[in-house]
Amino acid sequence: MSGNLTLDSYIGKVVQVMTCDGRQVFGTLEGYDHSTNVVLQDASERVFSTDGVTNVPLGIYMIRGDNVACVGEVDTELDNRIDFENVTVPPLGAIWEMN
Amino acid sequence: MVLPLSLLRSTQNQQMLIELKNGDSYNGLLVACDSWMNVHLKDTIFTSKDGDKFVKIGEIFIRGPTIKLMHIPDEVQVMSAVNDEVIEVRRQQPNQRYPPRRGGHYNNGGNRGGRGGGNNARGGYQNRNQGGPGPSGQGGPNPNFNNRGGNNPNPQWR
Repeated sequence: MSGNLTLDSYIGKVVQVMTCDGRQVFGTLEGYDHSTNVVLQDASERVFSTDGVTNVPLGIYMIRGDNVACVGEVDTELDNRIDFENVTVPPLGAIWEMN
Repeated sequence: MVLPLSLLRSTQNQQMLIELKNGDSYNGLLVACDSWMNVHLKDTIFTSKDGDKFVKIGEIFIRGPTIKLMHIPDEVQVMSAVNDEVIEVRRQQPNQRYPPRRGGHYNNGGNRGGRGGGNNARGGYQNRNQGGPGPSGQGGPNPNFNNRGGNNPNPQWR
């Protein structure tokens, strides 16, 4: 293991960003910086609930680094194969919350 | 690659939505921003976290650290504007790797080229006897030790 741990290899790919309040935002990673502020294009939020999954299209999103829990590359093929109609789960909770 | 702060700068005079860490959101025109992500909006509409309160605010200054995320509507063609800004910035700074010299306290000898800039302990104002051919800047209190070949006002360090 050597070299920098950067998001360079994810630029231009579809990524899923998990935010500290438990949201899941998908989008193409357009850019980032040293504070892990993240720019997503064609972003959409996947909202999970016990009534099913909804995708909320968002457009251009800039998420401040303090709120980014993780950024993961999406395997679009695998993602397309998931049958979201039948996914009924309670939403993830917040990782940390403002008082 | 689009830097987040460049994106913010390119959104000037455009409508944007800012959600704060406490869940409140502000929808308004971006007047100004800075490198700490502090933001000045005008003609803003504030929506509370639970979506029950709406307030129209003329001008507001939002501190960067309180921001959770920013949403720029699709209609706003910022991505191309950002790329243009990056290209413009690169064009204006072709070979600048170090800030330009200004004859500060560590620079008595004038312009000495790109290497060995600000943190040059050998030529700096501390001017202890380093055993080299003499300090930079001949006006200082340090006499010339080891003066090998006459006074060299601008020794060229490699």
